[in-house]
Amino acid sequence: MMEQAPGTRQRVDVLRPDETPLRVWLHRLRQSVVAGFRELRRSRTSTIGAAMITFLLLVCLFTPALVTHDPIKTNYRERLAPVSAEHYFGTDKFGRDIYSRVLVGGQRTITISVLAVAFGMVLGLPFGVISGFYGKAVDAVAMRFVDGLLAFPGLLLYLLIVTLAREWKLEGFWNDLILVFALGFAFAPQVARLARSTALVEARKEYVEAARVMGERNIMIAFTQILPNCMSPIIVTGTVRLGFVILIIAALSFLGLGTSPPTPDWGADLSAARDHMESHPMIAVFPGLAICFSVLAFNLFGDGLRDLLDPRLADR
Amino acid sequence: MLIYTINRLLQLIPVVLILTVVVFGFVQALPGDIIDSLGGQEAVEDPEVRAALEKEFGLDKPIYVQYARWVGKIATGDFGKSLITRRPVSVELLERIPATIYLALVGIGLSLVIAIPLGTIAAVRRNTKFDYGAQVTSLLGISIPEFWFAILCVLMFSLYFPILPSSGYVAPTEDFAKSLWYLVLPAVAVGFRQAAFTTRLTRSSMLDEISKEYVDTARSLGLPEWKVIYKYTLRNALIPTITISGLQLAALLGGTVVLETIFAWPGIGLTIYQAIQLRDYPVIQSGVLILGVMVVAINLMIDLLYRVLNPRVQLG
Amino acid sequence: MSGTDGRIGDTLGRRGLLSGVAAGVLAAGMPAQAAPMPKRGGTLRFGTRVDGSGLDPHRNLVYYVSDARAATTQGLLDLNQKMEVVPAVAQEWEISKDLKKYTFRLRRGVEFHNGASVDAAAVKWNYERIMDPKFGHAFSRASLEDIERIEADGKEVVHIHLKEPSAVFLGNLVYYPCNLMAPNSVGQADTHPVGCGPFKFVSWKRYAKSEMVRFENYFEMGADGKALPYLDALEGYPKREDKVRLTALRSGEVDLIDNMAYSDVAAFKRDYAKQLTTWDVAQVGMAHLNINAKSGPFAMDAPNGKLLRQAVAHAIDRTAIHEAVFNGLGEPLNTFYASSSPWHMAGVKNAVTFDPEKSRFILRKLNMMGMPIAVVAREAFQYMRNSGELVHSMLMEAGFKASNEVFDEPVLRDKYRKNDWGIDSTATSYRFEPDGWYSRWLHSDGAEGKLRLGFKNEKVDKLIEAARLTLDRGKRMEMYTDVDNIVNDEAALIYSHAVPLTGAGTKRLQGYAPAIAGPFTWAGGGVRTAWFDNTPA
Repeated sequence: MMEQAPGTRQRVDVLRPDETPLRVWLHRLRQSVVAGFRELRRSRTSTIGAAMITFLLLVCLFTPALVTHDPIKTNYRERLAPVSAEHYFGTDKFGRDIYSRVLVGGQRTITISVLAVAFGMVLGLPFGVISGFYGKAVDAVAMRFVDGLLAFPGLLLYLLIVTLAREWKLEGFWNDLILVFALGFAFAPQVARLARSTALVEARKEYVEAARVMGERNIMIAFTQILPNCMSPIIVTGTVRLGFVILIIAALSFLGLGTSPPTPDWGADLSAARDHMESHPMIAVFPGLAICFSVLAFNLFGDGLRDLLDPRLADR
Repeated sequence: MLIYTINRLLQLIPVVLILTVVVFGFVQALPGDIIDSLGGQEAVEDPEVRAALEKEFGLDKPIYVQYARWVGKIATGDFGKSLITRRPVSVELLERIPATIYLALVGIGLSLVIAIPLGTIAAVRRNTKFDYGAQVTSLLGISIPEFWFAILCVLMFSLYFPILPSSGYVAPTEDFAKSLWYLVLPAVAVGFRQAAFTTRLTRSSMLDEISKEYVDTARSLGLPEWKVIYKYTLRNALIPTITISGLQLAALLGGTVVLETIFAWPGIGLTIYQAIQLRDYPVIQSGVLILGVMVVAINLMIDLLYRVLNPRVQLG
Repeated sequence: MSGTDGRIGDTLGRRGLLSGVAAGVLAAGMPAQAAPMPKRGGTLRFGTRVDGSGLDPHRNLVYYVSDARAATTQGLLDLNQKMEVVPAVAQEWEISKDLKKYTFRLRRGVEFHNGASVDAAAVKWNYERIMDPKFGHAFSRASLEDIERIEADGKEVVHIHLKEPSAVFLGNLVYYPCNLMAPNSVGQADTHPVGCGPFKFVSWKRYAKSEMVRFENYFEMGADGKALPYLDALEGYPKREDKVRLTALRSGEVDLIDNMAYSDVAAFKRDYAKQLTTWDVAQVGMAHLNINAKSGPFAMDAPNGKLLRQAVAHAIDRTAIHEAVFNGLGEPLNTFYASSSPWHMAGVKNAVTFDPEKSRFILRKLNMMGMPIAVVAREAFQYMRNSGELVHSMLMEAGFKASNEVFDEPVLRDKYRKNDWGIDSTATSYRFEPDGWYSRWLHSDGAEGKLRLGFKNEKVDKLIEAARLTLDRGKRMEMYTDVDNIVNDEAALIYSHAVPLTGAGTKRLQGYAPAIAGPFTWAGGGVRTAWFDNTPA
């Protein structure tokens, strides 16, 4: 499946010898984006997903304008208030405006997820590419290390990293970077493995040989030629991963290892709402829906993307 | 095949060694220490007590000595003693691992029972209402936070329609029928989520398989459609489904912490999570290591099985 | 303690027992005159929030509210509903005039579960093991720290010699009880403990279930003159999740739960009054906000330490905590003991009232508007986390720039050691003996005070020391009232709210009521006297 990644199809038209690598790269990027949009319209799921993601990103972008209340200001006299013109989504057990909390929390959650996935890619991609490109001893050593990390079962790696990082004296947004670090670090081995398997295939292809003949250094070939071609499966995995990361953050919040209160956080707010789920179920509805919506968006989009990038399934 | 297997087994040795280093490193880096969590409010600050406990637990030795001791002991099958309960780690863990495996196996089994028919029918009746229904359900299964779904299940089936016990664990060796009774809710919570993944996978590999030439050949030979689907296509399409289920099983070994917490299921994930909070070093270290070895072993077995089922895959 | 001669006979103990049973029955919603006779038999399934961490009763706190295994152990003394010390294994006691020697006469014929007799030598061995830092838990050790030596006089008499005179030693013995275990069972302490409590240990599957059966030779008698306990067996089921535990009770999977989420109490009482009994346990503990007076801007020796501490105190709205954290249960407080407690001191004045304007005024005057302050809370308890969250918001309102963080125990402990915190949202529970609070926290030499608060006040020290030498409850309460007035004025810490606790159980369960000491360590209404009424209601 990997050997038919679409990057190969777009390659021929950009190899002009007078171009600098950066411009080549930018050109390719532009091309693939344009092609991507053309392709996107062919898949219904990814169109829906893309629309949902666009909505999410717009809301995140305009959060400061949309927020109606200070999301951490408490007022016990108005606690557990129902939906009203004053509080669009009602108030939580401390009398905080849920609408504002969902917005600000969303901005945070989406930012953390995107950064975490990006961090995992930045860490894992070069690792995997080098491992796959050089092969042999480098590969053997690097992959055993990756295997060692992948053997870490389930949530336990996150639990350990988050517990470990809790004590670092970090405040505000920097505190969220702990989650970025933990979630990204745990994603990196998967990226590395995926990149490596693509790189193994790519390294044997003719264009690599051609680049060698043209006298490019090995490391340059690995990063300028092979790495871009490993991107597409990783982008798909990354998109689906975004949704997964949101759920992991929620699970960590449930276990008490999320961000410290009163920072708005979908997972923590949903988790706190479970105390009142029999008497005031409305508190849970909006953070819960927000989580479902974004996970769904990333999954739909990622799924559609996978179908598009995998030509065998392209007819759907 | 035999040489390949032996080769893979040999490769496990460095993986496990790396795992021991990683686990040990993480545990050492955890902030605070066991004596802080043992001491209660007061006399932990007593240097005499601290020294006595450090000596007893061997924490007064340099880190590399502690590591060497731990690995040396493990090599002889001695996992040490829990610093909290003071029972052997093997006793602490061996009670719990079966509970988790029981939950994971039945959960995965349940997911297959749901996913295979659902995915197959969705593929066969592609783009019908059934297909969309199955897709939407499985997407919802992926996007609901696990803890929320679990608590909703408890309220729904133990309180509003009181047909199942809310929580608790009975060992299958003790009373098999009763153990199944207590297993239903947790297994459904595991299974529903996993089924969401597997349904989608079954559907797409089914679609993949149906579009192959041999299916047309079979049809042209006049074989009945059900026979084509269920006898030939499904069998091939299930290979990736089973493979992924195996990987899910491995991931579930430490990944059911949240469900174990909610359903009072005395599994290994809950145990290690609590051990992390209490800094019970031997339990964390040995627990993660044992699970890690199990994960690696399951992955290896799946790999080998995959090669047996699908001889087209090259060895090496 | 009532009699000033320090002698309480069996009669008083028995009287306490009877009133306890009556209270239990009343609490169970039964008309007192029609109290039915207790019946033998049945297995009580007890759902608890946490599971204990180990079996050795000296090493581990056998927690009062949340560990069914507490039923396997017992100490020399018990408490009654009025928080008075009453006989248990020790039948009577004498305190020397100089308050330095306590003599206990043990009840005859009390046995451990393995048949060994609970004699003076066993008590001596137990106490010495608890005092050994290698074995004893810090809490239990702290309650015995006054002991100079123990002397077994024959089989039935134990003399305990103290280092310093103390009138509060008896209270200390029940404050995190110094449990007795059979000396000849020490080898199996971590696997199969042998105590002398009403139930015998059978098995413990961590995070799943603990089982105990009735101890046939238990020494205590019920109000009906029959041997206690009435139940045949006891099973403990740890269920962490509040919703799940409550559901398990409502669906009949367990007969009794130790507590429920504050947010569930009101609706539960309304909807399930007919099927299930609820008990509001009086005065379990006290939620308070510690202010770091050890170092930093609030320190005792900082130029504006007191003023800044008062600025913090002015920012705290107890009513908000009452409503938003405790859901209107319990009561906001300005002293350690709640009004339901016999130790409640009504004379305590709240020197620093809620007035965020004043906080802002102080901060502005000192040119410290927006001063940073770190609020910390313990992860394990929801009400501590929630109070911290709320206090954070209140401090922001009042002109501080607060941060809020939740930590697990080891990290928090590290923070205390490094003085790396500003306000700590915490609580103190199970102080049956006020000295257990005042000496340890507010005396300049107290263990907790030294580690965390850093509060020093000569007058407070003197009052606490004097109270420690006073047997009369009324006089001691006057002294503690003075202490709390100084504490409130100095804003050494902020008493905020009584910690409420609501347990619930099936209507079939009779003769049971939890007390401050939980369902086990109190005479007259806990699990010991509980029984099942199987006649259909």
